[in-house]
Amino acid sequence: MYTAGAHYRVPANPIPMSVKTPAVPNRKQKPLLPYLLILPTLVFVALFTAWPTLLAIYESFFRQRLNIARFREPSFIGLQNYATLFTDDRFHQVVNNTLIYALGTVPISIVLGFLFALLVNRSLKGIGWARLAFFHPALLPMVSAATVWKFFFTPDYGLFNSTIRFLGYHGAENWTGNPSLALLAIMLVAMWKNAGYYMLFYLAGLQNLPTDVYEAAALDGANGWQTLWRITFPLLRRTTVFISTIAFIDAFRTVDHIFVLTSGGPSRASTVLLYYLWQLRFENQDIGLSAALTVIFVAVLLVFTITNFVVSERAEES
Amino acid sequence: MKLKRIIPILLSLVLLLVLAACGQSSAPAATEAPAAQPTKAEVAAQPTEPPAAPTEAPAQPTEPPAPAAEPVTIQVYYPVAVDAPIANILQGYADKFHEQNPNITVEPVFSGGYGDVQTAIQTIIDGGGEPPALAVMLATSLYDLVNADAIAPLDDYINAMDNGKAYMDDFVPAFMENSKYDGKTWSIPFQRSAVVMYYNKDMFKEAGLEAPTSWQTWAEAGQKLTVKNGDTTNWGIQYPSGWPYWLFQPLAIGNGQNIFTDDCHVAFNDPKVVEAVQFYIDLSHKYEAMPKGVQSVWPSAPTDFASGATAMIVHSSGSLNGILKQASFDVGVMPLPGKADGTYASVPGGGNFYILKGAAPEKQDAAWKFIEFVTQPEYVADYSINTGYIPNRTSAFDTDAMKAYLEKTPQMMDAFDALQYAGAEFSIQDLGEVRNIFHDYLQKAYNDEMSAQDAMDAAQKDAEAALKPFCE
Repeated sequence: MYTAGAHYRVPANPIPMSVKTPAVPNRKQKPLLPYLLILPTLVFVALFTAWPTLLAIYESFFRQRLNIARFREPSFIGLQNYATLFTDDRFHQVVNNTLIYALGTVPISIVLGFLFALLVNRSLKGIGWARLAFFHPALLPMVSAATVWKFFFTPDYGLFNSTIRFLGYHGAENWTGNPSLALLAIMLVAMWKNAGYYMLFYLAGLQNLPTDVYEAAALDGANGWQTLWRITFPLLRRTTVFISTIAFIDAFRTVDHIFVLTSGGPSRASTVLLYYLWQLRFENQDIGLSAALTVIFVAVLLVFTITNFVVSERAEES
Repeated sequence: MKLKRIIPILLSLVLLLVLAACGQSSAPAATEAPAAQPTKAEVAAQPTEPPAAPTEAPAQPTEPPAPAAEPVTIQVYYPVAVDAPIANILQGYADKFHEQNPNITVEPVFSGGYGDVQTAIQTIIDGGGEPPALAVMLATSLYDLVNADAIAPLDDYINAMDNGKAYMDDFVPAFMENSKYDGKTWSIPFQRSAVVMYYNKDMFKEAGLEAPTSWQTWAEAGQKLTVKNGDTTNWGIQYPSGWPYWLFQPLAIGNGQNIFTDDCHVAFNDPKVVEAVQFYIDLSHKYEAMPKGVQSVWPSAPTDFASGATAMIVHSSGSLNGILKQASFDVGVMPLPGKADGTYASVPGGGNFYILKGAAPEKQDAAWKFIEFVTQPEYVADYSINTGYIPNRTSAFDTDAMKAYLEKTPQMMDAFDALQYAGAEFSIQDLGEVRNIFHDYLQKAYNDEMSAQDAMDAAQKDAEAALKPFCE
């Protein structure tokens, strides 16, 4: 939530990373204060981000299984864990599911968030309630949201089936038990929950847009569509980059609803990377293999985040 | 001016945060909701306290060696898996225990579901910390816990009791199936349940049906009691399979072959097990007595049954209290019919007490005392009455409280009787991995992605490969 607050004030720099303001510019002496100020953050990042990552890289080169007495002590096996993963059909299926999940939920929830923001960014009576309606799923804990949806998805008479039946579709679908629908079901919950959250960022961005550009556009006779595509959307580009980054990371990070709705099933159809990681670590108790998966996981997220920033910075310059 | 626009958002945010806070706090409150019951629990426990004295006597011999011992505080990690005020009940027991053992304080720590308790303890041990002295974990977690060197055997404690053998023999045999390994006893039954079938006696009577006695009569009853109303259907049978091994086991056992033979061997592709898988599929495909495919209806099935929307459900005995509270008809409880006429099957489930090896020795001793305390017949009866778990000791049925309860709730006796047909719950080396393999293929068969035979052959092959490093 604090990022949202910061965003209201500094729409151009929503990412803490890019805040490089010189703290005490007037004095010549070496500025100690800025370092002191970031020290707590540094300590936490080192302790809870850097160290576990390094540990995971180290552990991924060892065979260690807590539930096999003779493998309880780690033994070095080089890249064996990675080889095991890459030749494992389950891993392939899980990567596949994760890609579908991320590429499906991220763009759709961002578009929805943008549309919601446009919709509620006007001064109508009672618009606060509309904002509230769009935003409230974001405030529910994922487990509560998923529990509610579990009943929406009830076969036969669940709210979801009743609704699509009302819309004219007559086939009571078994949403969480059908292998070709289970992944879609958990994606729907994620989109429902995230769109309102992303709306908040867009709304903040919209409210900080300069009005003179719009006045100029109006004078030039631009229609609504042109204004939206040529002015609003480009001006919100930084917001979009920011949202797509957190949305992508979120897509990899959220698994609570899978535990509640499908337990990764049926037959692994809704198992994504993080859920598989949990299974390897806490059900199979395979430290080495889960460490290798963690490393892959972190690498994918790093590559995506860096690419995203580099591409957007380039676009900024040109 | 922008501010004006933001103010309603901020206001609604504040409102929502308040709402969310209420919502969040209401979640734990829900489990505590029947808060009136703890008093009932105490009332129930009190009259039975005088008889508690004799059973307490055996505990005394262990006391003298440590006169005026140092005060000890132990934690008990426990899950909440049923709709009952477990937190209040356990705290009540801990307080009573403290009254009788002033130097020991027991702190029950709610830790989520069964999986969460084990994860929490594993994390503490991996991090080099001191685990709680006592935890309630699945009876089937035995091998993983022993292999991880996480738990302590209990034989020394049992042998030190005056009546150790009598104490152990009093536990319901079906609940002891997963407590022994390597010639040692590792856990004591605590909150135990069983797979049973609930059936609507009124519907059966109306349709002129008797309680089923075989797969054939069961499927036919389900077929007869299935009613289509336009787009929705009142199914004869609801049989959850979102996380399927536990509810499936009685089908295999009812055909004369459990899904595993010992801690290193599975029997997934035994012809009898394959036949049991096929029977589950037939219930929907051949008899149309239940919907097709994997049924993720664990939470809604008891409600559907209690509201009369379905005539039979296969579920945990732990749902009995909830069903009886809602149902306005005569509720029948029975073991699942077996294949042959007159045969039945069930399988136990639930959690046992484990003492964690990493805890300080005096804490382990205190933990054992607490186990002895809450497994006194009066407490076993009280826990069962207030939670719906099946009493884990035979002597609990001799208590006045239990007799009075059975008078009102004869179905509890039916659930207990189902246990005589029970096979052992699936427990094996590398349980988590092998269970997931079984789930994957069983659901592929249920969803018509593979034939029952092919699915079970593949499950057998994968499981054998997974078990290899454990058993060679």
